[in-house]
Amino acid sequence: MQRIVIIAEHIAGHIRSVTYELIAFGKKLQQLKSQSLEVIILGHEVTGLARKIADISGLDVTAIEHPEATTYNGELYGKALSVHLHDLQPAYVCVAHTSQGLDFAPSLAVELNAACITGIEDVVERDGGACFARPLFGGKITARVRPNSQTSILTIQAGIFNFRKDDAHTAGTVAIKSAPYKPRRTRSLGIKQIETDTAGLTEASVIVAVGQGIGNQDNLDIIYQLAALFPKSAVAGSRIVCDLNWLEYRCQVGVTGATVSPRLYIACGISGATQHVMGMRASEFVVAINRDPTAAIFQVADVCVVEDLTTFVPTFIKTYRKVKENI
Amino acid sequence: MKILVCVKQVPDSESPIKIDNDSGWIRMDEITEFKMNRLDEFALEEALVIKEASQNVSIDAITVGPGRSVEVIKRAIGMGADRGIHIFTEFEGYQNSLQISNGIAEFVRDRNYDLILTGAMSEDNMQGQVGPMLASRLGLPWATSVISLKLATDKNSVYVEREIEGGNRDTVVLNLPAVLTVQSGINSPRYPSLSNLLRANRQELKTIRAKDLAVQASREDLIEIVYPQKSRAGQVLQGSQEAKAAQLLEILYQKSLL
Repeated sequence: MQRIVIIAEHIAGHIRSVTYELIAFGKKLQQLKSQSLEVIILGHEVTGLARKIADISGLDVTAIEHPEATTYNGELYGKALSVHLHDLQPAYVCVAHTSQGLDFAPSLAVELNAACITGIEDVVERDGGACFARPLFGGKITARVRPNSQTSILTIQAGIFNFRKDDAHTAGTVAIKSAPYKPRRTRSLGIKQIETDTAGLTEASVIVAVGQGIGNQDNLDIIYQLAALFPKSAVAGSRIVCDLNWLEYRCQVGVTGATVSPRLYIACGISGATQHVMGMRASEFVVAINRDPTAAIFQVADVCVVEDLTTFVPTFIKTYRKVKENI
Repeated sequence: MKILVCVKQVPDSESPIKIDNDSGWIRMDEITEFKMNRLDEFALEEALVIKEASQNVSIDAITVGPGRSVEVIKRAIGMGADRGIHIFTEFEGYQNSLQISNGIAEFVRDRNYDLILTGAMSEDNMQGQVGPMLASRLGLPWATSVISLKLATDKNSVYVEREIEGGNRDTVVLNLPAVLTVQSGINSPRYPSLSNLLRANRQELKTIRAKDLAVQASREDLIEIVYPQKSRAGQVLQGSQEAKAAQLLEILYQKSLL
């Protein structure tokens, strides 16, 4: 029987929730074709984490213990996992589409002569085989890709596949292995914590977020005016606006910034790249304003306004004031 | 010190992207503008910063793509790269990272670059694979999503900070030669200078036909491209700008959001 192998992601002694999402993805893949499903976790003193995953998921887990893997190391991950996976000859290796997963997955593909499909958001059946959906062009297009190799390395986006714990299963087994490989050219020094002040974004009930469509920094004024109409509001930005120094990085929403879930999210001139959407898709109600009708942000919006924000937002503010005067 | 920067020409992010049912790819004639992949600009700028800070640094810029990609090499030279290399694919369509990294690796082998830089991801294919694949093919160490880097004074190693989830940083020291993929915000990419642009037009580029390199078979097939499914209602407001403003106001009132 063919194998599906999940690579667990963990950081500072904790299993990251995306690991269970990978298991949910693996189970969906199993439904398309009967395959065995198992988990590998690599690190230093990870046997306890392996036990926990085996208990929660009911899957068999292999813990690869490595004394130097106290923190993530790309060279070590690439080599140690490829040695182990080479023996298993899996059909699919499922990795998180995260800063860690995307660091070693392509290397693993080279080592194993495997296909590499990254940023997967769905899996569908096509001609009896699994076909993977992934975004192109900032999410404006979805590609459906099918590997044609013995082994495929897949990275799966976080926050899409829901893991449901069923109590009926029996706990999986835990096997402990060691990895003989020593990293020679990559020395990991650990995680540096950066101040995580997110400018009150996580507490705000309304967020007005601005993207590149703002055009220039002077136009930010209308964004602040729009935000001022709402109580408990905050102004946020996409990465590009922060890169341009128009807003501080602590105002950034997205994978590398804050993850928010306000009652109302107004996306002004934001293209809706995956990295941004992952930070805001839990919002209750989303209004998107963008002059590009094909902008990906419209895929995740409840209300779509195809207009140039630099003229629409002032019009909206004026309309609001007029209505308010008449009440 | 020899630095190679891998750059890519991509459609402008505000350009409409439409599907061409005949070719199974996007309509290239609808693309209003091509430009250098944004993250590659940061990678090139980082190379230029290194060059300005030390002596005897040369920068080569390489791209893999169809004929139009020559423009991105000219831009790279315009920004300050010394030489340009174009691996000519004679091909429009879904590009496979395995093949791109293979092409670059074939060129790089035996050319003794000390540092290879590229963007963390391209805006069009969004695969984020070329950097680590290139490193693995060449047997070099790598780091992705680099937001800060510092060369050791002996130029034998580099300290990098990788941006990870939540804005925290993973810190690593790599022996050179190494491959780094760069995250946005690491610097402020400069505009090309007129004198460099003139030089770019005069200077001969090295052109290599992709098919003359050892061809790596693709390990994946693009079955189709489709427009993404909406995950929410996506009510599109109609009418004049004023009419849309009035409708939006009404919706927000009804939802007690205003």
